[in-house]
Amino acid sequence: MPIRFLKRKAVCTEGVDVEAAETLHGWLLEAPGRSVDLAGCTHLHPANLQVLLASGAPVTALPADADLAAWLSPLLAPKG
Amino acid sequence: MSRLLDQFLAEARELLQGIATGLMQLERAPGDGDAMNALFRCVHTLKGNSGLFDFPEMMRLLHAAEDLMDAVRGGSLAFTPALADRLLGAADLVSALCDQVERGGDTRGPQGEAAVALATSLRALLAPSPEEGTRPLAAVQPAIDLPEAALAAARVHGGGEALHFLRYTPAADCYFSGDDPLHAVRQAPGRIWGRIVAPTDWPPLAELDAYANRLGFELLSTAPREALDRHFRYVADQVTIVPVPPPAPQADAVPDLPALLATQRATLLEADRPDWHPGRVRAVVAVLVNTARQLGRTALAEQLPALGEAFLRDDDVAPLLAAVDALAAHQAPTPEPARAEEPAAARSSLRVDQARIDRLLNLVGEMAVARNALPYLARHAARLDGGRELEREIKAQHAAISRITDELQAAIMQIRMMPVALVFERFPRLVRDLARKLGKQVDLVLEGEETEADKNIVESLSDPLVHMVRNSLDHGLETPEERRAAGKSETGRLLIRAGQEGDRIRIEIRDDGRGIDPARIRARAVERGLIAAEAAAQLSDREAVQLVFLPGFSTAAAISDLSGRGVGMDVVRTAVERLHGDIALEGSPGQGTSVRIVLPLSVAVTRVLVIESDGQRFALPIDGVVETLRVPEADIQGMANGRVIVRRGRIVPLRALNAALGVAAEPRRNSAGELAILVLQRGDEQVGLIVDDFRETLDIIQKPLAGVLAGIDAYSGSTLMGDGGVVMVLNPRRLW
Amino acid sequence: MNPVLIVDDAAVIRTYYRTILTAAGYPVAEVGDGVDALEAALQQPCSLCIVDVNMPRLDGFAFLEALRREPVDQPPALVITTDRGDDIAGRCRRSGANAYLPKPVRPETLLAQVALLTGGRA
Repeated sequence: MPIRFLKRKAVCTEGVDVEAAETLHGWLLEAPGRSVDLAGCTHLHPANLQVLLASGAPVTALPADADLAAWLSPLLAPKG
Repeated sequence: MSRLLDQFLAEARELLQGIATGLMQLERAPGDGDAMNALFRCVHTLKGNSGLFDFPEMMRLLHAAEDLMDAVRGGSLAFTPALADRLLGAADLVSALCDQVERGGDTRGPQGEAAVALATSLRALLAPSPEEGTRPLAAVQPAIDLPEAALAAARVHGGGEALHFLRYTPAADCYFSGDDPLHAVRQAPGRIWGRIVAPTDWPPLAELDAYANRLGFELLSTAPREALDRHFRYVADQVTIVPVPPPAPQADAVPDLPALLATQRATLLEADRPDWHPGRVRAVVAVLVNTARQLGRTALAEQLPALGEAFLRDDDVAPLLAAVDALAAHQAPTPEPARAEEPAAARSSLRVDQARIDRLLNLVGEMAVARNALPYLARHAARLDGGRELEREIKAQHAAISRITDELQAAIMQIRMMPVALVFERFPRLVRDLARKLGKQVDLVLEGEETEADKNIVESLSDPLVHMVRNSLDHGLETPEERRAAGKSETGRLLIRAGQEGDRIRIEIRDDGRGIDPARIRARAVERGLIAAEAAAQLSDREAVQLVFLPGFSTAAAISDLSGRGVGMDVVRTAVERLHGDIALEGSPGQGTSVRIVLPLSVAVTRVLVIESDGQRFALPIDGVVETLRVPEADIQGMANGRVIVRRGRIVPLRALNAALGVAAEPRRNSAGELAILVLQRGDEQVGLIVDDFRETLDIIQKPLAGVLAGIDAYSGSTLMGDGGVVMVLNPRRLW
Repeated sequence: MNPVLIVDDAAVIRTYYRTILTAAGYPVAEVGDGVDALEAALQQPCSLCIVDVNMPRLDGFAFLEALRREPVDQPPALVITTDRGDDIAGRCRRSGANAYLPKPVRPETLLAQVALLTGGRA
């Protein structure tokens, strides 16, 4: 499972595929104030990125993968 | 960014010139495959270049033109003069858009709308004709504006490799076909930069369709175009790739004093104290001392080393910073222009400001004048006791200085030389358009385009030449029917030829049209009250045709729209004479017309002959002097028009300079009773000017006359002589 | 006028600078690395050092720092390098350079910078 859903935080690891976007979308809709940790993420299907951008959910950690971080950081400045 | 734009504009003008040339070439030889390919390349390159900027209107037009050319090349569309008209019009419009951009604008506005309209009408020509069926139209590619971020990345990367910019705009439903655009761009070959372009207007999360893509992707790659095409081959319709021109090197701004001072200030403010800190500070002080000396702040220059040592001892930077600020303040308002220009003068550039060359030229001219003082000095020395040797030495030095001055002058003049091609290159288009408008067929032949002359001369030639070319097409060359009736080939010939003759440039405009009828010219001149009937009758045919140069003369019965109203050959003559040139017209009925213009190659320094009349010295440009004569009174004959002499079988009319200047005194004879006569060339004629005596020849710079003198035609200027006297320079063309 | 010392390991670059500078009337001396540069600078005073960064034996920064440690008259120094790292200009300054230009440098840019650093024309 590329995303582990904790109480208030979704932790993404390795490649997050296109199907995960639907789950992520639903989880972020369930309750406000939830955040996302991308530290262990190596790839993110853009559908997931659209969910993150539309939700405005805080990203607590950018990917450790420098290349992915470079693509995402201008859009997802880490908060909190 | 502006360097890139400058580059684009410069290249665009070259390409537009190439497009115009290519179109006219094709018009003459529609089957010329090489010309077609060259033309297509120009259009294609220009379209590609314009894609680097946000010039959608220009892009649209060029794209339509390219598709049209492609259709012609493919044989599905015939190349007709009408089509050439449309395409030349498109080139003109693109040129106008470039002008608009150069003035700091974009490609919008009325010109932009015209471009879009023309693009649409060009495309209409492409509309699939019945026999052609369903030839698909290439989609209009949206213009690509290279984002500043990508340009910055390209600059950081450096200029070593060719770069491509790629924009990938995935379709909304692309996820459903299994695409992962982010994966695709991350795996793209040679990627050195990339970004995701996301919209900011997301719907509320509950309404979001996560599977409808709204993201765009951009990247810069060092990979060859083919590799990128291959990588994105399944989504080729969603990808645009453009080459990135080599980035301008960073910080290419020319170094200036404020920047240098700011750097020194920053070094002084560094908080670290490595063991080389003292040396670092002393080097800064060395730079500041140099700067202070350069600005003439010698007192400050002397204090600076002590300020530096004080900083190193007390670690108090304030006094030193105050000195830096004083230098910066001294520099900032640029109080003395001469001083402020100093650092700039150190730049040796390939593109030199014309004002600087002119300044050099003035200085050399003044040096030539100063040199001219040496012979006076030599003569003065000769009168001293034992001054002979001094005289010889001064003369030797004079010769050496003369040689150097001449070489220097020639070298500087050389910088100002430009080929007449710069003026000639507009003629093919002008002749083509006029010929089409007039329903005439004209073969234009240009010769000697590489002939060079001074920039001023070449630039001033433009208008007179255009006028004469218009005249030739308008009045000279006949329609094909008229030519056939006259037993000539239907296509007329217009020759424009330039060549150098010694230190003069000669330009000839010759057509094989209906020529010029001296009888009609005489009648016309009399009718317009320009000359008395008897005087007209006395003129030779050759002289009579020169009457067209008189103000208020026009040969066409109806003033033609093409030659411009109220502007005649007199304007051409005035322009030529202002450049110290001569103009002459030749022609006879049915035999065509030829206008010859002879101009000096440069105008800056004039070689003059100094003459004397009524105890006063005058200078006369030597380029018009044929010879100087001493003629016994007896050899002068009286004729109806006045006094003349006969030289080598030619009659040379005479006039006394005193009379021309309104001086009552009679010309002085020498002890042998001879008169001094200066024979001058005036067009095809020779005329003699009677003066009192001849003096030396000199190189002078003419100063234009000011005040009341400026209105006197007989003088073209004045000059300062080596002995300090001021001498008027005569304008020989206005002495008759 | 003391010579301008050109320090660059690429002979073609040295030739390029030398041609431009001598044409403008500056006397020049040239060496191919930082060690030779230090020796040359200590032997004969120069009016300016033009220094490359990436050189064998002793790089441009190390050369400048060594030079600035010496108890001699300190000539101005101009670093010209292809290095485009973050804050390259600051890095040059802290090592003791008085100016920095990116490589390749255009003749007029070089001449303008040299004129400024040496206090006018040659």
